[in-house]
Amino acid sequence: MIGKEITIAISGNPNSGKTTIFNNLTGLRQHVGNYPGVTVEKKTGVIKYKGYRINVVDLPGTYSLTAYSLEEIVARDFIIDWKPDVVVDVINSSNLERNLYLATQLMELDVPLILAFNMADVAKKSGKKIDINLLSELFGIPIVETVGSRGLGSDELLEAVIKVVSSRKRKEKKVEVKYGEEVENEIGKIISVLKKEKVPVLKFDARWIAVKLLEQDRDIIDTLKKASGPEYSKIEDAVTGSINHITSILRDTPEIIIADGRYGFINGALMEAYKEVDSGKLDVSEKIDRVLTNRILGIPIFVLIIWLMFQFVFTLGKYPMGWIELGFEKLSVLITEIVPQGLIRSLLVDGIIGGVGGVITFTPNIILLFFAIALLEGSGYMARAAFVMDRIMHKIGLHGKSFIPLIIGFGCTVPAYMGSRILENRRDRLVTMHINTFMSCGARLPVYILFAGAFFPAIAGNVIFSIYLIGVLMAVIMARVLRATRFRGESEPFVMELPPYRIPTLKGILIHTWERAWMYIKKAGTIILAISILMWILFTFPMIGNNYSQDYNGQIEKFEQSYRSGEITEDELNEKAAATEGKMAGERLAYSAAGRIGRFLEPAFRPLGFDWKMVVATISGIAAKEVIVSTMGTLYSIQEADGQSNSLKTALYKHYHPLVGYNFMLFTLLYFPCMAGMVMFRKEAGTKEMLFQIGYTFLLAWVMSFLVFQIGRLFI
Amino acid sequence: MKRWGLRHRGGDARKTPLAGNGIFYMTDAVPGKKYRIVRVDGGYRLNSRLCAMGFIPNEIFYVSGASRGGPLCVVVKGTKFAIGRGMAERIQIREI
Repeated sequence: MIGKEITIAISGNPNSGKTTIFNNLTGLRQHVGNYPGVTVEKKTGVIKYKGYRINVVDLPGTYSLTAYSLEEIVARDFIIDWKPDVVVDVINSSNLERNLYLATQLMELDVPLILAFNMADVAKKSGKKIDINLLSELFGIPIVETVGSRGLGSDELLEAVIKVVSSRKRKEKKVEVKYGEEVENEIGKIISVLKKEKVPVLKFDARWIAVKLLEQDRDIIDTLKKASGPEYSKIEDAVTGSINHITSILRDTPEIIIADGRYGFINGALMEAYKEVDSGKLDVSEKIDRVLTNRILGIPIFVLIIWLMFQFVFTLGKYPMGWIELGFEKLSVLITEIVPQGLIRSLLVDGIIGGVGGVITFTPNIILLFFAIALLEGSGYMARAAFVMDRIMHKIGLHGKSFIPLIIGFGCTVPAYMGSRILENRRDRLVTMHINTFMSCGARLPVYILFAGAFFPAIAGNVIFSIYLIGVLMAVIMARVLRATRFRGESEPFVMELPPYRIPTLKGILIHTWERAWMYIKKAGTIILAISILMWILFTFPMIGNNYSQDYNGQIEKFEQSYRSGEITEDELNEKAAATEGKMAGERLAYSAAGRIGRFLEPAFRPLGFDWKMVVATISGIAAKEVIVSTMGTLYSIQEADGQSNSLKTALYKHYHPLVGYNFMLFTLLYFPCMAGMVMFRKEAGTKEMLFQIGYTFLLAWVMSFLVFQIGRLFI
Repeated sequence: MKRWGLRHRGGDARKTPLAGNGIFYMTDAVPGKKYRIVRVDGGYRLNSRLCAMGFIPNEIFYVSGASRGGPLCVVVKGTKFAIGRGMAERIQIREI
């Protein structure tokens, strides 16, 4: 009795409240990962109940178990391969017929099944009367009523699970869905061919295979083909014959007849056990939709909501971000006091706090953003947003929902990559991610402020705006280019449920938000830490030692002497000392590996008008784009450089032509966002796509800057 | 233009009733009016998907709204769906 381990899988239609049931069962003891080899998210949790250790697996939300989408294949494979002890199918009680369709497919798979009739309260309120006992008897399956939003029914569900597990003796098949004489005859024929040809039906049931073959399920056909080799042609012939026969007699293709059979089965049961009394209430969702998806108002409302979200994330996020920044500053000061000057201190302060701290600082934004997204998704608005924006986004080869991560990209590209998850289709998701970097993020702004301020002080605002505009244009162009080349092919046809508006549960939103935030923090603590240390090494070693071009330390000593003898004031001393230390920092950087790489790569960037200092700054921008400003400051021996630094602006103005200045901004805009962004890209899309992103944005940045410089040169 | 070809902007040959026997495409449905689905013609994969969502022959539905030139809002089996025009053109309907 003790320590018995069982696995249950939670399946259900999208919007059936499946995730809420899963959250109620597992609480915060959840683990989020991916199904092996695919980007479909896998949530699991472990609970202990009455001496059982129950592994709960949340399957992706699907309408059926055909091979239409990755989610469906993943759900089906999990059930077939892992043979969970019980599958709990969560059903939206307000929409029995459609929701039971998936249940019939689970019945066909002949897995131990329990139906959770969720949102039972809403169904009752709207006048739907369900005879649970009768329905349970008709299907031969236990049914439990639940109200996920109020946490009701979880214990009953677990009781039912244990009952099914402990009473698993009956081996006889349960109620079977019949598809009518014609189809049943053909199913019989295919089964006999399968048996005669000794086709390895593998882990499947022969009848189930026959039905899938009639439905022309690609995944099953491919599996059978692989398993049976050349023998498959005999099966193929039999199946084609059956399909033609059914189509000619019933005047519809088998997959439709079979679907019809399933609905017939469902309706037969519902006829007896279900009654709908019109409550006479007007549909609130319909009323809201009349405004939110209105032909004229739809887009302005969408823009307003996104604007509010943007404000919420970045305005509200500013405060905790400031606190975290302050915290890291204090920490730096503390370390400076405790740890003696030298490499360790530099590693801790410049390398680790500078790198990881900079990334952790964005956590409040990430939390707020995913809170907002969870709210929009949970309330049902996200689907409407996709509906409203679909037409415009389709023109550039994207999906209606792509708009949301793209907008987020103006704030920070890292959460934008994570936000791309709202796109179910991989191709849509990848194109959206690949162009997101052109939505100029907040970290690039200090670079523009510095350069535009240095070279075009009178029209800085317009110049910066032009950079943003070029970014959007590049995004549109590249979206179409990528769609026409690497991600060619018809995009998924657009069908999407617009679920009724509801008030999402706080628990669900918080869990969702926390999962994302934790994923982000974990990355900052691991791979970003490693890259930060690597960058620090590049910018620190080899060390210059005493190989400065001048005796700076001697100069500083002289300043101190003149201060002591009263020749200069304390302010003057600090100023002169700082200037000298700045020069030292510049020489140290030039001497370091990064400086050498910059010089080495300079020839490749000459055609863009860049010198080695700009190359070094670009390299440092890989850590984070705003670092470019401080690197430039160091290279031009100016301490405390920020976007407002006038002395740095003067130095830049003296050294470069405005065309080069503008070109550098352009380059900064176009090449991939930063290491945190790339780490997230890899996590979301894999190493190959990340390398493609790095490669193509860098190449694009180079080519564009090359053109601008070479063509611009003709006019100056 | 392969991928944009699906989303035509009205006025092409497919907009006329089929064979003149009162059968239309879903894109021609008048919002608010009830129709019956006659045929779903999207190939095996898409058909299976549409059927699972409730778009099945003999089913009654109505269009509750549309964005200009964009997807339609269709209510079928008590659920509201946004459905692209390319897809709606593969569903044949008739008046009840």
